[in-house]
Formats: sequence, C-alpha cells, structure tokens
Amino acid sequence: MNPGFFNRLSLISQFELKRGFATRKGLLSLVTFAVVWYFILLYPLRFAAELLNQQKSLTSFFDFLGFGSIQQWPIPEFGVFWHFALIIFPMLSITLAADQTCSDRERGTLRLIVLRSSRDSLFFGRFAGVMVIQALLISAAALSTLALVLYRDTTLFSSAFPDMLAITVNLILAVLPFTAMMAALSANVKSARQATVWAILIWTFLAGIISVFADYLPALYFFKFLVPGYQLSDLAQLSGWQTLQLAYVPLLQSLILLALGRRIMARQAL
Amino acid sequence: MRSPIIQCQRLTHIYSGKVALSDVNFELDASEPIGLVGPNGAGKTTLLSILSGFLHPTSGTVRLFGHRPGAAQLIGKVSALPQDAKLDPSFTVFAQLVFYARLQGLTKQLAILEANRVLEAVSLKEVAHEKPLVLSHGMAKRVAIAQALIGKPELILLDEPTAGLDPFNVRTVRAIIAEQSSVTTFIISSHDLAELDRQCRQILLLENGIMQPEKISINEKQAATRFITLQMESCPAREVIANLQALEGVLQVTNPQKNEFVVAYDPGLQANMDLQLIQCINTHHWQYRQLSHGKTLEEKLFFRDVHPA
Repeated sequence: MNPGFFNRLSLISQFELKRGFATRKGLLSLVTFAVVWYFILLYPLRFAAELLNQQKSLTSFFDFLGFGSIQQWPIPEFGVFWHFALIIFPMLSITLAADQTCSDRERGTLRLIVLRSSRDSLFFGRFAGVMVIQALLISAAALSTLALVLYRDTTLFSSAFPDMLAITVNLILAVLPFTAMMAALSANVKSARQATVWAILIWTFLAGIISVFADYLPALYFFKFLVPGYQLSDLAQLSGWQTLQLAYVPLLQSLILLALGRRIMARQAL
Repeated sequence: MRSPIIQCQRLTHIYSGKVALSDVNFELDASEPIGLVGPNGAGKTTLLSILSGFLHPTSGTVRLFGHRPGAAQLIGKVSALPQDAKLDPSFTVFAQLVFYARLQGLTKQLAILEANRVLEAVSLKEVAHEKPLVLSHGMAKRVAIAQALIGKPELILLDEPTAGLDPFNVRTVRAIIAEQSSVTTFIISSHDLAELDRQCRQILLLENGIMQPEKISINEKQAATRFITLQMESCPAREVIANLQALEGVLQVTNPQKNEFVVAYDPGLQANMDLQLIQCINTHHWQYRQLSHGKTLEEKLFFRDVHPA
C-alpha cells in the first residue's frame, strides 16, 4: 500500500471533523442534537430512572413495554439510556452519515480531491471522520447521563463509570454498520435524501421480506444477519459488559458493507 | 530515451450505449501547451476525465508517466481543471486550497504558502477567506485554476479554462500558462480557437469520439507550402483574389470569410511574399487590417480540405 495512504486518510477524516464541529451546518446539527438530548435526559430518562429507583415493583409494567431488561442494570439511568440510545443513535447515524460522498460527487468536489488522494483514502477517510463525530456525540451523551447519576448520588461513580464505558463502546459498535451502510449508499446515489430513503427501505422492507421468506426457507435467515441493527433487539436484553457478546455481528456487517462500498467507489464515475 | 508523458492505446469509452471515444491512439511528449479541440460532444471532456482518473475507460489502456490514471505515483505530478467542478460550499477557499496542498504531501506551513501563491497567481488573494458561494462564475473558475497549479505539477489538464472569463482574466490565464509552461505541460481543451492559436504549438483534434490522424502543428516553417492570412478593410473580393493570384509564387488564394484571404505560396519561388502582398495592396489603394504568417487554427480545422493545386 502507498506510504501516503494513512496520512491522506487521516487528513480527510480531520477535514470531516472540521465539517462536523467548525462549519455552520455542522454546528446547527450539533445544537439540534444537544437540545433533543437535553430534553430526553431531563424528562423520559430522569423520570423513568426515578420511577425505577423508587418503585421496584414495576417489573411487569416494563416487561409489558419490552423494557424488562432495564431492571438488570444496577444503575437505572443507564438502563433507560441504553434502551433510548439503541434506537436514537442508529437513526441519527442514518441522517448524519448520509452525505459522506454523494453531494460532493454531484458538485464535482470529489474530482478535486481524487486528483490528490486515492479513492480508498477518500472513502475510508470520510467513513472514519463520520465515525469519530458519532463516537464523540455518543461519549457526550453517556457523560451527560453519568453526570445525571452523580447529581442524584455521587457515591455511585465507581459502579456507574464501568457501565458508561460499556454502553459507549457498544453504541459505537452499534452505529458502525449503519455508518458503513450509508458510506456504501452514499457512494452510489446522487443525494443525501436518496441515501436516507434507500437506508430506510433496506432497513425495514428488506429485513421484513427476509423474515417472511425465512419462515418458508430457513436458509434465507442468514441474509437477515446482514441487515444493520439485526442484533439490536437481542442487545437490548443484555446489560453491562455482557453486551459485548454480540460485538462480532456489527463488526462483520461493517466489514462486508465497507468492502461493498469500497468496490462501488472504485468503479464509480466521478 | 525519454518516454512519452501520455500514452493512449485503443481507448474506447461508451456511455449507456453511445460511443464517446472510439479507438483513440496517441502519444504525447512533454512540450509546450497542447490544444485539444473538437465540436460539442466530440469526446474532449471524456478524454480529459479518463486521463484525470475520474472515469474508467470501457476498453483500452492509458498511461501517464508510465502509470495508470489515478495512481498514487501521479499525486502532485498530474493536476487538472475539471469542467464544472466546484469547491465545497462549507469551507473557505483558502482552507480548501491548504487541504489540497496537504493532500499533495506539503507540510502545513508550506501548504499555507502554496495556497497564497496560487491565489496570487490568479489575482484572487482578496477572496481567500470567502466561501465559494459568494464568488462570481469567473472568480470560481480562477479558483479552480488556482487549485490545479498547487505544487507546480508536471502535467496540467485544463478543460475550458477561459470559458466565461472576461478578457482581462483570459490574459491572466494566458500569462500563467506562459509562465509555467517551461516546467509544466498543459493540455488545454477549448472552443476558443484564437486563444489556442496563441498558446499552443500542437493541436489534437477529436471528432465524434475519433482522434483525427494528423496532429495539427502550428509550426510551418519547414513546409513546402506556406500561408499568409490577410485581413482587409472593406474591399472588392474578386478583384483582390485575381490580383493576389497573379503574384509570382502564389499557389492559391482563398476567401474563407468576409474580408479575409489566405494566400498559399511557394517560399522557394518567392521568399518575401509578405512584402509582395503589401506592395500589391498599396498599388491598388486598398486598406489592410492585419497580415499574419500561417493559417489561423480556425482555418486549419475548418478548411483542411483546401489544398493548393
């Protein structure tokens, strides 16, 4: 591999960080995320945690909602956070990572970049940049939840901190295949909106169709394994570091989707 | 032995069933600027896109400095002004030029110096910290030219560099090309034949995706037949042709456009044809506007079938 490959990959991902944190559009997205997260933290997350903390006899209620595993978490805030985050961050990933290359390709900006970098550096650099942005957002959300726990009881730090780390690592792994899927879609479509629409179609219809057909032909069940987020419902039932038991699923999905996206990018006319 | 900077062999490109380039073969050595001409849809942009690595050809091989287009070895060595490529609207012009320079391997300090240098070359230092959306069409074009100059590449492919520029900025682009052509080979695709005529010593002609077999050379000093192009003020065309035709050494006089005459002559019979022509004009009290040696590029392209008897 060319010695400049990682250097260019790093420069391209740093430029994506600037786009995420130092441009008007990026800052607007950040502020929106902060406001939404503030209200989630302040109301559903805090109230649910208080409810769980005060009334331990709500097992059947949470079981009814499908959130029974919340009670396995020693710190209720993290149990609630875990369930919210498993829905919010993959959805956020679909919108945040939708425009990795498509609008730049339509505008011709990618041409100016590939004159100075390989398509691989560009593809993986953009992917890495978007992943770092999401990792920072996830870490910020997890830290804010930790702050909420410590606000209630500062003595919980020693037990809350490992939970926070486990959740952060798991959420980063959870958004990995979604980001890879958006990288592959973005390399193929003309706009972020198209990429988002395709992602929703793949995520919902494809998973649904595979499930229906897999009932008749169990061999098809394997393809469901390729749909990003396949493991999320199983993951929601786990707590603490147990959650890493399913880490192989998003990692394998990401590898397959990135290989597919890289191939699309290599063949694409710019 | 010096190897050619560009080698194309049996290059074909097909866009959804339509042949854009058909079996194109040519080799180019490092030289003074080379023009690429042809009508709309002839395949000029497709050819430049393949050379730049933006498009993969349907078949055939292309080598730039011995490497396939887009190879890492060509970074910093080959650059381009792609047609209609725009900068990212989210970042300032300067930030993007520094980013491009850094991708080419320059350190941060050198990248800053280089971004300043290329902006100064296109007289746009004052818009360095503006975002691309506030630039006029001409300014955006000059910024796009600036990015192609980063790092002084050995080969620069320019697709319509002067389209949409005012005369002052056309002069600026011309000066940049003239200044850098000692170290850089420019390939310029353009419809502005007069501009190519001024800048290029060699012309490649593409028609319907087919590269025409003869490279049109501007240098005709060695030719057995030479030409003089005469632009006259309002004059009686038939009379002018008859009188010029009667001069010793004149092989043929054509009148491709109103008040323009191309005189083909044998330099062996009459070495000072320009003086003869002026004397003839003076004798008949006609007025001439311009007399230039050789045919214009436009005449070479559009009146290629006209040969002296």
